[in-house]
Amino acid sequence: MFQNPEIPLEELPTAVDLNWHALDPTYIKLLRLQLGLFIIIPLVVITFVTREAGAEMPYLLIPYGILAAIAIWLYVFAAISVRHCGYVLRDKDMLFKKGVIWQSVVAVPFNRIQHVETSNTPFDRRFGLASLKLFTAGGSGGDLKIDGLPANTAEQLRLHILEKTGADIEDA
Amino acid sequence: MKTLDDGGWHRTSPWAILFFAAKIIKFFVNNAWQALAPLFAYVYASQQDVVTSLIIGGIAALIGLVVFSVLSYLMFRFRVGQNSIFIREGVLKKTQLDIKFERIQGINTKQNPVYRALKLVTVSFDTAGSAGSEGNLPAVTREFADSIRQRVSTVEKVTEDVEPTTDADIADLPPLLQLDWRDMIRIGLADRRALIVFAFIGGTFEQFQDTYESWIMAFATRMFASGADITAVQGVTVFVAIASVVVLIFVLLSVGAAFLRYHNYALYLDGRRLRSVGGLFTRHEHSMDLEKIQTLRLNQGIVQRWLRRYRLTARQAKSSDHNRASKSFDIPVVNDAQSDELRAILQVPEGGRLTQVPRDPSFQPVSAFYMRSILLYAGAFPALLAMLVTWPVVGARALIVFLWLVPVSLVAYRRWKRAGYLHDDEEIVRRSGFLGYRTSGLLFRKVQRVTIKQSRYQRRKGLATLRMQMASGGIYIPYIPQDVAMRLRDYILYKVESSTKAWH
Repeated sequence: MFQNPEIPLEELPTAVDLNWHALDPTYIKLLRLQLGLFIIIPLVVITFVTREAGAEMPYLLIPYGILAAIAIWLYVFAAISVRHCGYVLRDKDMLFKKGVIWQSVVAVPFNRIQHVETSNTPFDRRFGLASLKLFTAGGSGGDLKIDGLPANTAEQLRLHILEKTGADIEDA
Repeated sequence: MKTLDDGGWHRTSPWAILFFAAKIIKFFVNNAWQALAPLFAYVYASQQDVVTSLIIGGIAALIGLVVFSVLSYLMFRFRVGQNSIFIREGVLKKTQLDIKFERIQGINTKQNPVYRALKLVTVSFDTAGSAGSEGNLPAVTREFADSIRQRVSTVEKVTEDVEPTTDADIADLPPLLQLDWRDMIRIGLADRRALIVFAFIGGTFEQFQDTYESWIMAFATRMFASGADITAVQGVTVFVAIASVVVLIFVLLSVGAAFLRYHNYALYLDGRRLRSVGGLFTRHEHSMDLEKIQTLRLNQGIVQRWLRRYRLTARQAKSSDHNRASKSFDIPVVNDAQSDELRAILQVPEGGRLTQVPRDPSFQPVSAFYMRSILLYAGAFPALLAMLVTWPVVGARALIVFLWLVPVSLVAYRRWKRAGYLHDDEEIVRRSGFLGYRTSGLLFRKVQRVTIKQSRYQRRKGLATLRMQMASGGIYIPYIPQDVAMRLRDYILYKVESSTKAWH
């Protein structure tokens, strides 16, 4: 029943040792700006709660200290995580890697892409960035989303991938 | 908007503002907690009375809604090209969406009462399997919707659908599988609902033992009073008997349900289409094209293990409409040999040579470090957290939470023992389970995306987790050697990218 014929694996194109393209470094700035805006919420909450509770000075250091530590960590982590991201455009697929502790590499073959989307938020536009999203079948869990691309690169990628999708496929 | 071919940018009818307003409201309802938090903060912080605050907040929300809806409408533009439809939208977050006609599987139209009065419809495009953002064209005329539908259908190539045969023809086909009355009993016994009732009675019996005892005593006392001679032991016996009868009734009910649903069940292969017929009063007919199968799943629960039977499910791509359930074709009972035979038929011409029977010795194990990850994330971390939280209250007794590690170790061991995979050059089968077994098989060429994931620890040990995303959902193989995962990934990409066949 079970057969396992040998496959000439050496002849397959490999996705190891590729020239990864980095994300736009300004994306780090954007992440930090978002972090700065986000941190306002817990800051307001802490100020409000400690004032209501009438907390005094040495104890006040605890929540603010924790918040500051988290903020500093996220500030540093933004740069580390962006540096760990990268993408490769190949003839028949696109690969994207991300993650510092849990690293992952997603490969999306062009002949499985349903549609392509670029989007940019007001922050993105301020920094000249955009996101590229590749949709395949099978749930949103892993639709490939690449944030922090230069806006014109995202547009070029979109057009290029669009041209590549759907080629050489028979209809069901 | 009258013609499709002018190639220019179009806006939809201003009534689309209603659509956008509904969308915004829906967004806020879905994210109610986050959306309402600032409102509550505002109400709490402001010194005015609650009613005034709510009125002011409500008015602000209403103004925001109207402004946003109008802007959404103004920003929404679309263009119908020769082969695709291009949508631009978004107020703050701007989005460009291309939908190729050949990707569109269905065009759905919806009408709310206002649109019905205005003879407008909202068109949504059903693209195979993608659960992501589907395109919507709100508030367009029905003629326009029809013309788009026509345009898309002309692009679609002629499908080579086998004409469905009639009932008379099906009788001529040799059945692949037929179920008899014994199988009905097996289906009934394996029905989870019977098991749940059983577990529930067992659970409540332990929980409310005292209550039961007092009932039994009361029952016994009454028996005494009526002159019957009965001891407490006999009372318990009576109670157990009653509980057993209840369980038996539920088992009988599920066996009855199995007869209703599957009586005279037969499975046929009609060209390249799988068909099943069965049922006592209502004849249930199902069919599925073999090409549409994404994954084959063989399931064995505890009862089924004891019966040495499985449930075989052929899973189709998830639909992108709102009930995100994946469509599937169920074969309720098969044994080892039947599962292999059916598998060989369902996965031809390319696959079907592998077995999905979980106890097959050809399954390769995954690394034992897999147990460590379960122990760590489901055992040690939660236990440590629980201990830290409870320590200030109960002191050293908090250490008792580490007993949690005992069941988790058991689970980790069982899950590792059951995890496994086997593959040939066309397909791969993944085995998993805790009490029972589950094996999922798929053809490499139908994979949608491949991901390799590694934690720091996995990298150190040269291990990786391979995830294959199918249109019917993801299948992952945890903790296999890194080089095997990478070779498999490269091979899957090669199979997918060199395949010219449709995956759905």
